[in-house]
Amino acid sequence: MAVNVETPVAPTTPGWQRGKVASWLVTVDHKRIGILYIATAAFFFGAGGVMALLIRAQLAQPDLHVVTRDAYNQIVTIHGTTMIFLFVVPILTGFANFLVPLMIGAPDMAFPRLNALSYWLYALAGVVLMLSFFAKGGSARAGWTSYPPLSVQSPGHGQDLWILSLHILTLSSLAGAINLLVTIHNMRAPGLTWTRIPLFVWSIEVFSWLLVAVLPTLSAGVTMLLLDRQAGTHFFSPSHGGPILYQHAFWFFGHPEVYIMVLPAMGIISEILPVFARKPIFGYKAVAYSTVAIGFFSMLVWAHHMFTVGLPTYLNSFFMLSSMVIAVPTGVKIFNWLATLWRGNLSFDTPMLFSLGFLSLFTIGGLSGIYLAAFPVDTQVHDSYFVVAHFHYVLFGGSVFAILGGLCYWWPKMFGRMLDERLGKASFWLLFVGFNVTFFPQHLLGNLGMVRRIYTYHEHGLWADYNLISTIGSGVMALGVLFYLAAVVKSINGRRAGNDPWLANTLEWYTTSPPPPHNFDSVPYVTSARPLYDLRRALKERNAL
Amino acid sequence: MTPPVRKLLIAVAASLLITGALLAAPALAGDGGLSPVTPDAPGAKGITDTYWFITGFVGVVFLVVEGLLVAFVVRYRRKNRARDADGLQIHGSSRLETIWSVAPVLILVAIVTFVFVKLPGIKNTPVANAAGARLNIAVTGHQFYWEFTYPNGVIAIDRLRVPVGQPVRLTVTSPDWDVIHSWWIPALGGKIDAIPGRLNHTGFVADTPGIYVGRCAELCGVQHAAMLDSVQVMPKAEFDAWLATRAAQQTAGTSSLGQDEWVGACSKCHGLAGQGLVGPSIASSQTLQSTSQLDVLLQNGKNLMPPVGRGWSAQQLSALSAYLKKRFGSGG
Repeated sequence: MAVNVETPVAPTTPGWQRGKVASWLVTVDHKRIGILYIATAAFFFGAGGVMALLIRAQLAQPDLHVVTRDAYNQIVTIHGTTMIFLFVVPILTGFANFLVPLMIGAPDMAFPRLNALSYWLYALAGVVLMLSFFAKGGSARAGWTSYPPLSVQSPGHGQDLWILSLHILTLSSLAGAINLLVTIHNMRAPGLTWTRIPLFVWSIEVFSWLLVAVLPTLSAGVTMLLLDRQAGTHFFSPSHGGPILYQHAFWFFGHPEVYIMVLPAMGIISEILPVFARKPIFGYKAVAYSTVAIGFFSMLVWAHHMFTVGLPTYLNSFFMLSSMVIAVPTGVKIFNWLATLWRGNLSFDTPMLFSLGFLSLFTIGGLSGIYLAAFPVDTQVHDSYFVVAHFHYVLFGGSVFAILGGLCYWWPKMFGRMLDERLGKASFWLLFVGFNVTFFPQHLLGNLGMVRRIYTYHEHGLWADYNLISTIGSGVMALGVLFYLAAVVKSINGRRAGNDPWLANTLEWYTTSPPPPHNFDSVPYVTSARPLYDLRRALKERNAL
Repeated sequence: MTPPVRKLLIAVAASLLITGALLAAPALAGDGGLSPVTPDAPGAKGITDTYWFITGFVGVVFLVVEGLLVAFVVRYRRKNRARDADGLQIHGSSRLETIWSVAPVLILVAIVTFVFVKLPGIKNTPVANAAGARLNIAVTGHQFYWEFTYPNGVIAIDRLRVPVGQPVRLTVTSPDWDVIHSWWIPALGGKIDAIPGRLNHTGFVADTPGIYVGRCAELCGVQHAAMLDSVQVMPKAEFDAWLATRAAQQTAGTSSLGQDEWVGACSKCHGLAGQGLVGPSIASSQTLQSTSQLDVLLQNGKNLMPPVGRGWSAQQLSALSAYLKKRFGSGG
């Protein structure tokens, strides 16, 4: 039975919807939906992580046969698809869901039911992708990029289910992005102007615009793929559109997707650093506008993924220049974060450690990107393990470190309990060291000539050594994740958090931990980007008087 | 020192040691992956030069950023201050914003300029030089072998032979019914994709005789990892002799073409002895003994088997057929 929305009095919840499980299944509360997103995405992180460990086990030494060749291609494909589409983007959406209304002093998202629909579509898409392993002929096996003709020729229905899953996800993400945009534009608390909203909200603003702008291209691309596979069309056949057409469609979506995964992570960092440095963010406007600039330029760089397909030199030159332009706003952010630390009062709680980890690792990922933007150099490192190392520095060293830090930081707000600091710090160090041990040698492997997505190799010597080091690192990382999981489990009985355990700056810390269903009884008039800092100072001054 | 800081310093030292160890290994073994494979062609050398030029700037920026990060972490840690004591309440600096916006632009301009200066030497293969006119070779990527066609009709599989010092121009493609592959011999230059319906060009001038290995760089199916290839750079006279002999043998049907086709096109899935690998065991299959059945199979493929011989000339088909009859036929 649906709740009657036309009733002027508060709708009563039917008895069956109040159960411990049922209340989560029918919820339209943005905080619960956010937590559902985060929990589901965490599950897929585990699934994708197990696939990663299988990949590293298979490559630990030359000529191993841990999994079959065909299974390996499936695992590589679904690892990438899972981590990008079912983990990083959804968990950031979960953060956005939980935080944006709280950060802007709103009672909920603009469209709570649409919000619930977004989540359930996402969950469905995840189920479809995971079950595709059991389809006749197994799952998709043409890589997460699924280039035709390989993906068109791929037998069985795994590839079709991959397309179906992406279609469902696209609907989910589009609805979610529009919902976030409407919320941010219309539901900000009094006084919360565009130059006062938290930088995380800025990043979600750009994240949402990018999703709205580029997801339709992905949908178009994979729809044509589906038609070529099942309806005998020739969008990507050599005699008609050609295989390169798909690459343009895919990367016009695919490169902004990188920033869709990185910008909110940068937003998280921009929230955490000032709190643990006891300073305002250095250059608020520079950080906010560089987010917009990165978002805009990210739509002009897609063919730097295609420097080896034989495009004319003038196009390669254009895409080299546009890709390099992105380094400028990115550099602006990094230097502003560093300046935020300058003359601060730094505490190294787990969220701060993960943020500093982000800063050091994302810098490496950004710098290795310069080699890829210079197109003659890219023809050497493209599709090699150098690239694998590069995007893991950006997406794991960048996004995942920020996500893990953000989760520690907002955990007390979500559940009213602190995460265990000792387990959290141990987890950070294991992940930080394990990450570098896993991925740094992969730069070297790429330079030695190891291409990505190969099932095995015959070379001994350095190839075998670096691969073994990388596999050992992946084990250390797995241990780090387990420590994090232990901290999460332990937090069930963890120390209770007050409203504002970190003495933070933004409005979500004004309400209780966890917040009540309606979020705020009242919201203070906002006069700066740090409303809670202002409140604390006003209280101090009053005491002094 | 408070315990967290001590821990932090220990961990920083540990990661530095690990990084050091990682860098020491390659130092002991020459370059070891710090830059692309040692180049043996001017084009590849141009790429490696650009790589090191970029590395110079990247190294400096890396040291500045990570250095400042570590310095600030050590210098501005809380120590005895109250947890909620304010740091310096400064909101920004237009001058600094300008500096760190403009400095990267200058670096990028330097890099882009260097790329454009080096580009002609990387991209262009001379039409002729002292060693002779440009040698044009067609390179076709198939699941899962490389097929090379010389101007005089000689066909080679997986091993490309070229004369030293003479410009070589490759026209790279893949048949309409095949998938995308990517041609890459790191020592001789960058990748170029072999794409159905497209003719791509690349080239090189090899400096020293030797064998240079590479592999297909674009995921092309179940045996992508087995799609290895190599370029054998030979002295000019030796190459000319090989090409002439091979042409004569190929016409006479006495060349090793059939065996090369077996090793390149068949054995990667069926095993060198036909014992079966990702494909079924075929050593005792009747199809291998029947020229007509074999031709149909090669033209059309079967189940998961791609049509590995579609587009082959009669000469190519009969070469394989003859080899298989000899190898697996009665008494074989």
